[in-house]
Amino acid sequence: MALEPHAFMNKMSTRIGFTAEDRALLQANAEWGLKVAPEMADHFYAYLGRDAEMSSILNASEGRTHRLRETFVQWFHEMFTGMDEWGNAYADRRWRIGLVHVQIGIGPQHVVPAMATVVQEVGKRRQADGMPDAVQESLGRICMIDLAFIEQAYVEVSSAAVLKETGWTEGLFKRLIATGAHAM
Amino acid sequence: MAISTEKLSGILQNFVTSTNDVQGAAVVTPDGLPLATSLPGAMDEERVSAMSAAMLSLGERIGNELARGTIDRIYVEGNQGYGVLTSCGEDAVFLVLANQSAKQGLLMLEIKRALTELKLVLM
Repeated sequence: MALEPHAFMNKMSTRIGFTAEDRALLQANAEWGLKVAPEMADHFYAYLGRDAEMSSILNASEGRTHRLRETFVQWFHEMFTGMDEWGNAYADRRWRIGLVHVQIGIGPQHVVPAMATVVQEVGKRRQADGMPDAVQESLGRICMIDLAFIEQAYVEVSSAAVLKETGWTEGLFKRLIATGAHAM
Repeated sequence: MAISTEKLSGILQNFVTSTNDVQGAAVVTPDGLPLATSLPGAMDEERVSAMSAAMLSLGERIGNELARGTIDRIYVEGNQGYGVLTSCGEDAVFLVLANQSAKQGLLMLEIKRALTELKLVLM
């Protein structure tokens, strides 16, 4: 059931409508993205830190918050640069970020609202800096793709673990979910 | 050669009707799809098939983890009867349901015979 990051990236770009215009606009504003990234990291981790469960995860080891914050800044900037034109390297890195979220236990229930906070703060900052509305719309689209990677990583890793432990086939697993869901 | 579902169904029907205390039987794929079933009316064929494949596969994993060797069958005993799951080659799982009056030795012997017939059709 392992996700193929490159195909997933293409599928999500098409599905969400992440266009060449979006890419060009983001790249043209990559410097601004890098400038505001630390501030957005502050908002993101401040939001998560207010939750007791998340706070304990973020502070579970020495320097974890610092490392995560650095990764956030890099991640945020990459949404603007696209790394390799939002190609395979970009997709692989998004998948890797998703896996790290699963490994340390930051689930979609935490990431999605934290990301919404960031999007809101980006909006405020964009207005203050006199940036065009379209930048936020383009950023919103690539942000949705990145979120999809994180959410999908949870599903993929959980499913892979069940298949590994039970020896069930992928078809059987899907069938059990379908029959189980139908009976709820 | 194509698998004859008619023959599979015939073997199952014959097994269920001619074996004492057997209430139902099914042959399903390892993916949990029914190949042929003869189950009590109230049972959901789709769910029973998926659960049968899941249980046999999980049982085999448990057997391996607990160093029990090759698993011959998974045996479920409740106060209303038995459920017996047996691998039917690589491509199928055989489920048999029997009531609490079933004589276990006889039941196992009948299952073994039915398996021989089923395997010939599934080959």
